[in-house]
Amino acid sequence: MSRPTIDSTSARVPNCWGLPDLGLGVGLRTQHFRHITEKWPEMDWFEIVSENFIDTEGRPLYFLDQIAERYPIAMHGVCLSVGSTDPIDFAFLDKLKALSRRVKAKWLGDHICWTGVNGLNGHDLYPVPYTEEGLRHMVSRVKIIQDYLEQPLVLENPSTYLTFRASSMPEEEFIARLAAEAECALLLDVNNVYVTCRNHDLDPAAYIDRIPAEHVVQIHLAGHTDNGTHCIDTHDGRVIDEVWQLYARFHDRAGGRATLLEWDAKIPKFSVLQQEVRKAARFRNGARKAAA
Amino acid sequence: MRPAARLETLEHWMQAVVMHPEGADAGVKARAARTLLAEAARDPGSIVLPSKTLTSLERLGIYAHMYYARLIEVMEGEYPTTRQLLGEHDFAAACRRFIAKHPSRTRTLNSLSQQFPAFLAKTLPRTGRNRFAADVARIERAMEDVFDAPRTVPMTAAQYAEIGARDWNRLTLRVTPALVLLKLRYPANAYMTALRRGEKPRLPKPRTTHVIVFRRGYQVFRRDQEPEQWKLLESLVAGKPLGVAVRASIRGRGASADRVAKRLGKWFEEWAGAHLFVHGDVHLESR
Repeated sequence: MSRPTIDSTSARVPNCWGLPDLGLGVGLRTQHFRHITEKWPEMDWFEIVSENFIDTEGRPLYFLDQIAERYPIAMHGVCLSVGSTDPIDFAFLDKLKALSRRVKAKWLGDHICWTGVNGLNGHDLYPVPYTEEGLRHMVSRVKIIQDYLEQPLVLENPSTYLTFRASSMPEEEFIARLAAEAECALLLDVNNVYVTCRNHDLDPAAYIDRIPAEHVVQIHLAGHTDNGTHCIDTHDGRVIDEVWQLYARFHDRAGGRATLLEWDAKIPKFSVLQQEVRKAARFRNGARKAAA
Repeated sequence: MRPAARLETLEHWMQAVVMHPEGADAGVKARAARTLLAEAARDPGSIVLPSKTLTSLERLGIYAHMYYARLIEVMEGEYPTTRQLLGEHDFAAACRRFIAKHPSRTRTLNSLSQQFPAFLAKTLPRTGRNRFAADVARIERAMEDVFDAPRTVPMTAAQYAEIGARDWNRLTLRVTPALVLLKLRYPANAYMTALRRGEKPRLPKPRTTHVIVFRRGYQVFRRDQEPEQWKLLESLVAGKPLGVAVRASIRGRGASADRVAKRLGKWFEEWAGAHLFVHGDVHLESR
């Protein structure tokens, strides 16, 4: 199977930090450790869930060390809890910093959410109310965390399933203002945009158009579950066509961005992931227009 | 930095609602949530907007469902044999009660279920099946613990050879942190091994067994030990010199000095092969 090539010099709107377009990658999952370290398959880069490699010195870290020698790695966490009103956990930041150095991570990020308060962790991505107060709180925390980590945080729009009555601005405005005021980078999860907009009856194309391209350094693609009354971000299947179209829409405006396919449940063979993520190359090279 | 009160209240309220073991409906009415936002108990829509297709409670219910579903799924992966013994329904119910009582307080999920075997032993009705399942859970938890334990370099053959015959008695060995010793009420390790071989073992009768769970390289193993062997290793883990450890192993009911003397060499061979002793300066107790 010949691999579509990517024109990685095509960033129409470069990101503020000059962070590279890593090409097309997939999330690194334990099921594929052995395949990757035996076959060294063609893949531009991998993303890791940071917490899976913290507080362990077992097999995952052994494989990660080998993989990080050969492929660029980006760290993407799920428990930084930048929106929480609990104190910042600096011991956890130290662990992130150490892992980032160990794998020479290209960047480090998490989600625009909170995961727990009162010392508890729900291990889920809870939405914040999109208020001036919420924004001030998150901007101030992101600045502190970035200063401590000595690098920009790459923060992702989460899939959300509820809206607080207190919210006074749309999610995409909150994100754009957070990026501008905290001077942080963004990870645009196109599938999350679709899921969120379905759940809140919003226009995903308008949402995508309001995301400041100069802050976006990475894109996520994934599958989801459509329950009819609502969608859940399950990462358990192929990317649907509407999400590919949103990806192409952003790409038309912004140009090349490191693009990653997430597949976290019902995980298929590595070759299926390769096949799925390679579809992105076609959209990046104008196939959407050709198809239209 | 002092967080704004409204945001803080909303987060504490939502957490109280979604972590309630009986779901969001019960969660909004429970005291923990009511004391934070009383109006939400009467009208959840005052805090969370409904969508075109879901009520405010149903939207909160998505998070409440996912909280338990996700953590139970993690525990299913950690305790496959315990789950098989208790059955899917009873296992999930036990996990739910456990998570409600011991919510996660860490960023990683590695230690989420640390107290689960003890919780099972304490809270399940005292039937033979349940007691046995609690033993199996101890082994499965130990396997998780050694999986994540720090890496060490094992003692080499050359290091063993350097130890003078007269020095063995005074020797203190460093034991790998990737080792857990378990004294169990049932032959749970043999049962798990039989299952792994594809056999269909019957629930065993109570019988005290001694098991070690350890990691060699990056692979986790579990092994039955003779009682004196286990006791000796327990003393070595506690940092006792070998001579003291040997004497401790022959104390107690049924222990045999003759057996220890005959088997000591074989035990050390087994432990060295399992990489239980850590490379480094061996310490000799002063005479």
